[in-house]
Amino acid sequence: MIAKLHVTKIREIIKETRRIKTFILDMKIKAQPGQFAMVWLPDVDEKPMALSYIDGYAGITVLKLGDFTKKLHEAKVGDIVGIRAPLGRGFKLRDEDKKILIVGGGIGVAPLAPLAEKAVEEGKEVTAIIGAVTKSELLFVNRFEKVGAKVYITTDDGTAGIKGFTTDAMRMLLEKETFDACYICGPEIMMVKALELARAKKIPSQVSLHRYFKCGIGICGACVLDGCGYRVCKEGPTFWDFEIEKCSEFGSYWRNAAGVKVYFKKK
Amino acid sequence: MRNPTILASGVLSASGAALKRVYFEGGAGAVVTKSLSVEAREGHKNPTVIEIEEGLLNAVGLANPGYKNFIKELKYLKESGVVVVASVFGKSISEYVEVACGVAKYADAVELNLSCPNVEGKLFAQSENLSYEAVRAVKSKLKIPVFAKLTPNVTDIVSVAKACEEAKVDALVVTNTVKAMKIDIYAKKPVLANKTGGLSGRCLKPIAVRCVYEIAKEVDIDIIGCGGVFTGEDAVEYFLAGAKAVQIGTAVLYRGIDVFKKVCSEIEDYLRKEGFESIEEIIGLAI
Ligand SMILES: Cc1cc2nc3c(=O)[nH]c(=O)nc-3n(C[C@H](O)[C@H](O)[C@H](O)COP(=O)(O)O)c2cc1C
Ligand code: FES
Repeated sequence: MIAKLHVTKIREIIKETRRIKTFILDMKIKAQPGQFAMVWLPDVDEKPMALSYIDGYAGITVLKLGDFTKKLHEAKVGDIVGIRAPLGRGFKLRDEDKKILIVGGGIGVAPLAPLAEKAVEEGKEVTAIIGAVTKSELLFVNRFEKVGAKVYITTDDGTAGIKGFTTDAMRMLLEKETFDACYICGPEIMMVKALELARAKKIPSQVSLHRYFKCGIGICGACVLDGCGYRVCKEGPTFWDFEIEKCSEFGSYWRNAAGVKVYFKKK
Repeated sequence: MRNPTILASGVLSASGAALKRVYFEGGAGAVVTKSLSVEAREGHKNPTVIEIEEGLLNAVGLANPGYKNFIKELKYLKESGVVVVASVFGKSISEYVEVACGVAKYADAVELNLSCPNVEGKLFAQSENLSYEAVRAVKSKLKIPVFAKLTPNVTDIVSVAKACEEAKVDALVVTNTVKAMKIDIYAKKPVLANKTGGLSGRCLKPIAVRCVYEIAKEVDIDIIGCGGVFTGEDAVEYFLAGAKAVQIGTAVLYRGIDVFKKVCSEIEDYLRKEGFESIEEIIGLAI
């Protein structure tokens, strides 16, 4: 068995921002930060969600975006969801890295919060850049601060922290400081830029990718990346810089449910 | 073909990159594409694939980008030197012909998927007439080999096989999945969005081996066994029942992409241990 379907109840719902809710599940999952769950809402759909809580009861954090997430946002404590988890390969914290940088944009912060917690637990010094479109949409800043991470905030509209993108803050930070490793999750165009910045300073980095999943277990092929042939659901969703370099579609397009290419809009 | 193991349609076969990886890293003798249709199909909503006891249940619903979009992927595979079989699906004879003709230039063979359990209506492979007509229509247009993939969801698979033989099919793929269902007892609902799906993996093997055996006794064309091949021993069972090659799908999940290499070396082990020189010597021995 890879990850058996487990139907469980929603234990607790936390409203994080106007558009983001965390759902704490009535189950514990032994997982690494960066691993994900396939979340099934009977009669609606099943989608991959990063695990945002892995110590104690497992949790997922969901941005209201399409039909599925809208339905999920309507769910109440006690409602049931089907979970297949943990799936995929999580972030790798290497023993030799003492000082790490975490860069998260929007809902991409979800898998990075447990990563920061684990890194601190392992005695690493954590710096985080957290970005959102506006102040009220910032996610998990308190979780990073609570474990003692040094936090930089960016908002597109300047309502909090630095006005601009996470990559603007990253550029400034890397001019005066260096890190042993960098972990990036957010919109793909942001990740492309962040990877470039890290690469220019020769900082090994990992990114976490988002693609359309069907099976989530590496069998159907829906999420296979062009160029490298990696399955995002199996070899990923986290990839090292040297792995993602071989994936020609990164930053360019993804494939929809039919397998037709959809190109990213460049900002 | 460099060896008798072939990647089954629908498993890691949705793009050129995936198929190339299975061919080179996995060591398959050939790979079959996802079943291609005239128009792009999004397939069914998730859940589309779930693990159950001893097998996988899937109702992907023939999601594919349409054969025209897939031609780029086939060209890429040709340029990379991959032996590729294009799986073809149609809702009518003319659709089968259109897709088969569209992809033939870029493929080493065409496999007619007459048997997907996850689409509306009756399957071609549940009718001797429709199977005959589809194979005949495609054969009359193509020079490359044409395979027909049959369904075990029939009372008499031998008559369907015979109909395909009459229509001059080059090989039969035996078989596709068995129609099945999984209900979650806590959700109290079928898990697959399509309610029913196709059952593959270990539990399919005894059914498919029986189908191969029955067909091999009565029909004189090449058979490719398919269903629950995980090990070399499983492949040998199919050879003894009369198959000349095997397709492998679900086992990729449990033994990795290099399951093809593993199965090949296990077949060699068997042949050596039993004192055979080649696979040819054991084909149909159990009949
Ligand atoms: C996820 C999945 C998708 C499949 N899609 C197709 C398909 O598009 N066309 C087809 O002919 N068979 C399809 N099949 C059936 C397989 O090709 C194969 O016949 C079946 O899985 C039995 O072999 P196995 O037990 O080795 O998996 C699919 C199977 C699975 C598991
Ligand atoms: S979603 Fe099926 S292989 Fe990744």
